[in-house]
Amino acid sequence: MAELALDIQNVVKRFAQHVAVRELSLQVPEGAVYGLLGPNGAGKTTTIRMILNIIAPDEGSIRVFGQPNNQSRLLDRIGYLPEERGLYKKMQVRRLLRFLAELKGIRGREADRRIDPWLERLTLKTSEKDWGLAKVDELSRGMQQKVQFIACLLHDPDVVILDEPFSGLDPINAQALKDTVIELKRRGKTILFSTHLMESAERMCDAVCIISRGEKVLDGSVAKVKSEHGVRHVALALMNQSTDGVRNLLDDPRLVKRADDHNRFFEVELADGANAQDLLRRLVALGVPIERFELVQPSLHQIFLERVGAQGIEAGITGHG
Amino acid sequence: MAKLWAVAKREYLERVRSRWFVVATLLGPLLMALAILLPIYMRQRSLQTTRASNITILDATSSELGDAVARALGTGMQGDTSSARVVRVATADMARAESTAMRDVMAKRIEGYLVLDSATAIGESARYAGRNASTIPDMERIERRVEQAILANRLRSAGLDPDRVRELSRVNIQMTTERITDQGRGGSGAGSIAVAFIASFVLYMMIVLYGQTILRGVIDEKSNRVAEVVVASVRPESLLAGKVLGVGSVALTQLAVWVLSLALLIKFRGPVLSYMGMPNATIPLPQIGIFAIITLLLFFVLGFILYAALFAAIGAMVSNDQDAQQAATPVMIVIAMSAVFIQPVLLSPTATLSKAASWIPFSAPILMPVRSGIVAVPWWEVVLVMLGLVVACMVCVWFAARIYRVGILMYGKRPSLMELARWIRYTR
Repeated sequence: MAELALDIQNVVKRFAQHVAVRELSLQVPEGAVYGLLGPNGAGKTTTIRMILNIIAPDEGSIRVFGQPNNQSRLLDRIGYLPEERGLYKKMQVRRLLRFLAELKGIRGREADRRIDPWLERLTLKTSEKDWGLAKVDELSRGMQQKVQFIACLLHDPDVVILDEPFSGLDPINAQALKDTVIELKRRGKTILFSTHLMESAERMCDAVCIISRGEKVLDGSVAKVKSEHGVRHVALALMNQSTDGVRNLLDDPRLVKRADDHNRFFEVELADGANAQDLLRRLVALGVPIERFELVQPSLHQIFLERVGAQGIEAGITGHG
Repeated sequence: MAKLWAVAKREYLERVRSRWFVVATLLGPLLMALAILLPIYMRQRSLQTTRASNITILDATSSELGDAVARALGTGMQGDTSSARVVRVATADMARAESTAMRDVMAKRIEGYLVLDSATAIGESARYAGRNASTIPDMERIERRVEQAILANRLRSAGLDPDRVRELSRVNIQMTTERITDQGRGGSGAGSIAVAFIASFVLYMMIVLYGQTILRGVIDEKSNRVAEVVVASVRPESLLAGKVLGVGSVALTQLAVWVLSLALLIKFRGPVLSYMGMPNATIPLPQIGIFAIITLLLFFVLGFILYAALFAAIGAMVSNDQDAQQAATPVMIVIAMSAVFIQPVLLSPTATLSKAASWIPFSAPILMPVRSGIVAVPWWEVVLVMLGLVVACMVCVWFAARIYRVGILMYGKRPSLMELARWIRYTR
């Protein structure tokens, strides 16, 4: 196993009204793409802020590359894209990027050298227009997000922490972001990102940690998490739209624990002690044409719903993550 | 430390580059130039009409009086190269001569005409009519010249030499004023009062102006949500320190430009005035020692740090400008109080209240320079007050830093005093 890029041990953070994070431990190996999953208000942002030493945990320890995370030198190796995007509106893009790089210990001249390739790569600088010379508030929202993304990566960090990176991104920028993450991974960087979008997490992450109400629900590699949740899931696709008979059948608690109804497609979790073959037989007996009936590993989304459930997605928890 | 420097550099450069700064910095010297040159200009204007001696003297006294007045008018006024023309007229022809002279005035050939008649000869009256009849200095001058000419006539007929008499009767002493206070001989005159007043007022203005710049800067960082990116790289304490350092340097830059241009203006007032067609004028300059300047500078720097810390803490507490105005009110009242006390301290710098006000750290930066500008405050007292100010700065900065680092990431409702106390206790 590779060295741990991040090692969080038994971290607790209390705020005045509630406990934001309780006894959280997680390990991110070097070079991994790691997903921090959880509903809104689960403590994701609080955890990330503690990793970045923006706030200190009340208990527990956080180590980055084996060292306590209160050293400025260590924090310079981390790049951070906060959930609440923000830039100095009145500043020229180039000067802003240089400033943010200087805050990460990069010299101004070195930063200048790196800015242009990034601007070109994200099409902020073309032969017609150099947005690097514009002020931030002259840029569109999408362009500002690109600038923020450059700011996060300009100092070539070894660990990149992205808080809800896909929120508010248009499909093109989301694609660019995904491509960049994959490229960073290929270059041996460690990426930790928080999200509540399970599909993107499932496709990109090597490992995940699901937290709810400040507590870890489960963690581990995606493959391990899925196999632990066994082959109790059936992917069912019908030729035509579903009928009442099918719905009644899937509502039978002796057979089905949970069914995620997408109209023509169903992700079914079998009830304890139920048999997939029984389900198939009953479906055939109903006479509906079946396109697909497959025993599958559950999707992260299913696991998330199963483990966190409605109780975790609690309204009224204030604050971020 | 390098990061603190980066923050300070950004604050400084972004603000110095702003249009507001450039305009204010250039407008300052312009206003100062106006404030200095305009009174001189006005004084010169009111002193004389440049061609005041370009008049016609209608002399019906059948004596040398008219010539004597013309001679007297021809000398003495700066910048007036014109001279009076004497026309001897018979009393009967006076009306016609006056109407001719009036036409000359209307055609701008002369400024006016002076009528000397028998009543003038016996020292009773004279008449003047002209464009500058309402210019009091001109009229006083002509009147004085006529009086002199009559007096010279009388002296001569009494067998006395007018020049000899003028020489003997010329007495003009200069009285200097000096204040004696409880501390003995101290301070100088009106000049240093003016300097003390102006210096304290400028200090007050700069602290309020740039203190609020810090306040707005902090709120900006919060509402733009850029604070989180920044504190992920640099400790909030360094961010606060860099901000105060950067903005303080902007204030000092502006102050330096103003003081320098003022100094240049005073030094080169001669060429500037003569370019504007005015004679040189002396400006009463009090002697300001290097010690006084250093003291002033130290008080400004410390006072700025004190209030900047308070304003930064308030900025961190609130999320928008309206809340900020409200939350800043107590601080604004405290600093406005020191401004209100400027005048009482100027008038009675030795009163107990004045002394006390100049000792309190929150008003000392503004009132101590006032007091020490007028009366001789013992050096150890200045040092003690300054030490007190340093301690107050340290306490305020400590509290401000703790509030700042928590508040900078808090949004929504303004914290109550209870919550503030909890912020201060937070480990981090």
